[in-house]
Amino acid sequence: MAGDKHSEITKGMMFSLILFKSLKVRKNRVFITFFSIMTGASIITALSSIYFDISAKMSRELRAYGANLFIGPAASSGSRTVDARTIEEAVKMVPPDKLTGASPYVYGVARLDLGSAVMAGVDFAGLRRLSPYWQVEGKWVTVDFDEDSCMIGKTLAKNMELKVGDTVNVIGSETGFQKSLTVKGIAETGQAEDEQIFVNLSLAEKILGMEGKVNHAMLSIVTEGTDIDLLAKRMAGAFPGTDAKPIRKVSSSEGKILDKIKGLMAIIAVIILTVTTLCVMTTLITVVSERTREIGLMKAIGADDREIVLQFLSETLIIGVAGVAAGLAAGFVLAQVLGQAVFGSSISFRLIVLPMTLVPSVAASLLAAALPVRMAVRVVPAQVLKED
Amino acid sequence: MEKIVLETKGLTKRFGNVTPLDHVDMQVRKGEWVSIMGPSGSGKTTMLNLLSCLDSPTEGQYILDGVDTSTLSERERVVVRREKIGLVFQQFHLVPYLTALENVMLAQYYHSMVDRNDAAEVLERVGLSHRIGHLPSQLSGGEQQRVCIARALINQPAIILADEPTGNLDEANEEVILDFFKELHNEGRTIIMVTHNPELSEYSDRVVRLHHGRVA
Repeated sequence: MAGDKHSEITKGMMFSLILFKSLKVRKNRVFITFFSIMTGASIITALSSIYFDISAKMSRELRAYGANLFIGPAASSGSRTVDARTIEEAVKMVPPDKLTGASPYVYGVARLDLGSAVMAGVDFAGLRRLSPYWQVEGKWVTVDFDEDSCMIGKTLAKNMELKVGDTVNVIGSETGFQKSLTVKGIAETGQAEDEQIFVNLSLAEKILGMEGKVNHAMLSIVTEGTDIDLLAKRMAGAFPGTDAKPIRKVSSSEGKILDKIKGLMAIIAVIILTVTTLCVMTTLITVVSERTREIGLMKAIGADDREIVLQFLSETLIIGVAGVAAGLAAGFVLAQVLGQAVFGSSISFRLIVLPMTLVPSVAASLLAAALPVRMAVRVVPAQVLKED
Repeated sequence: MEKIVLETKGLTKRFGNVTPLDHVDMQVRKGEWVSIMGPSGSGKTTMLNLLSCLDSPTEGQYILDGVDTSTLSERERVVVRREKIGLVFQQFHLVPYLTALENVMLAQYYHSMVDRNDAAEVLERVGLSHRIGHLPSQLSGGEQQRVCIARALINQPAIILADEPTGNLDEANEEVILDFFKELHNEGRTIIMVTHNPELSEYSDRVVRLHHGRVA
C-alpha cells in the first residue's frame, strides 16, 4: 500500500482540511464567535481611535470655556499697562495652529447717556473666539475697524434702557472725546462683562486717552501638545516688564476632564473585552460539549493532547483574527460616526490602533478558549465513545 | 507456532471497592481470532478499554507486541494506540464532517504520512471505492462500519480490536462484515472481538469467557 509521491498529502494540508471542514460544519457557532469578537474589536477600535484623537478634539472643544493664558504688566514694573506692540509680539510666540483666539483689553470709565460705565476696548474677532459661550442678542461686531458700533452687557443695557439698534453717546471721562455708537449686540455672559460696554480697541484708546497701551491680553491656546507653563515663562522672559500666567482654573480643569474621559474609555474597553471573552468562552464551551465524541475518537485513534490543543486554538485563532479584521473596519466607521456626533469632525486613523485592537482582542479570544480547550484535553475516550 | 502478540498477566482494574476485572491472564498469538464473551457486567468493556490502551490497569501486566503497556504514561499509550492497534467500534464513530476517504486519512494523519492512494485502496478493499467522497450521513450502517474497518486497517496495526462490530447492523450487513473479518483472519491478521453474540464467536479460533471480571 505504498502510495506514490503525488498522492501524499502533507500534514499541514490535512490539518488545514480538518480545520476548514470543522469550521464550515459549525457555521452558526462560528458566526456567533466571530460576531462577538468583531463587536468587541470594533468597539475597542472606535474607542482607541477616539482616545488618540480625543486630546486634540477635546482640547479644542474645551477652549469654549474661555481664555487660559493671561499677559499683563509685571507687578514689579509698577505700571498698569503694557505696550500694545509688546502684546502683539507675545501673541506671535504661540504657534498659529495652537492659537484659538486672543484679544488685548484696555479698560476705563466712560460716560454714557444715563450714567457712567466701564468701557472695554477689544479685538472683536479675537474676543468672539475667546468667548464662544456668550449669549448675544443681535449681532457681534465683526469688523475690526468699525468705530460706529458697540456691544453692551445685558445688565448695563437694562440699566441704560438700551436695545439692539439704539444709539448711545459715549464720552471719555478724562479726554472728553465723544462718539455716537449703534448698539449692535447685547451680551449675556454671567460675569462682570454684563455691566460693561465693548468697543473696538482703536476707538477705546481714543476715548480713554490710552493710545498704544493695553491693560492686558487674554489668549485661548489648545493645550494638547503645548506646555502652557513653559510658554508663559518664555513670554515673560522675552518681554521684560510683562507677566504671562496660565489661568489655572481653566487649564487644570481641562486636564482633569480629559483624564476622566480617558479613564472612562479605558474602563469601557476593559468591560467590553471581558464581555467578549465571556461570550466567546460560552460559545466555545458549547462547541466542545457538542464535540466530546469527536474529540474522544481522535484521541482513541492516536491524537495526543498537543494535537487537540492545536486544533481548538487554531480554530479560535482563525475566527479571532477574522473577527478582529472585520472589527477594525467596523470600528473605524463607528469612530467616524461618534466623531461626527460628539465633535462634529472626523477621527483620524492611527497605526497604533492596529496593535491596540489586535493584541487584546486576540488575547481575549485565546483566553476565552483556555477553559474549553482544557475541557477538550480532559475528554476520556473510553467514557465518551461508550455513551449512546 | 506463531509468536505471542498480546499477553496479560494478572490484569486487574479496580474502581474504589469495585473490581470489574480481576487478575485476568490471557495470551493471543499472531494471526489468532479471539472472541471475548460474557454477560453484562462481566468486565468485557473494561477488558476492551485496557487492551486498546484507552485505560491503564490498577495491577498486572499487559504486553502488546513486545511492549509492556501497563507502566506507560497517557502520552506513551497514545503512541501505542496509533502504532499498534486498529479499533472497530459498534457505533462506527466516524467524524461527521469528513468524507469516507478523509476519515481513513485522519488515522494516517495521526500515525505518520497521509497518502490519498493508500486510503482509497483500503476503501476499495472493503468495497467502498464508489463511496469515498461521501459523508458518513450519506452512508448506510454497513458502509459506515466498513469505513471504520478501513480506518482500523490503514496503519497496519499489530492487532484489530473490535467491539460488537455487527451490533448496530442488520443481518445482511452483519454477514458482509463477518465475511470481511474472515478474510482478514485468513490473511493472518490478529483479531480480538468483544461480543455477546454466540453466532459471531463461532468464527473465531477461540473464545475467552469472562464472568464477574475473571476468566471463566
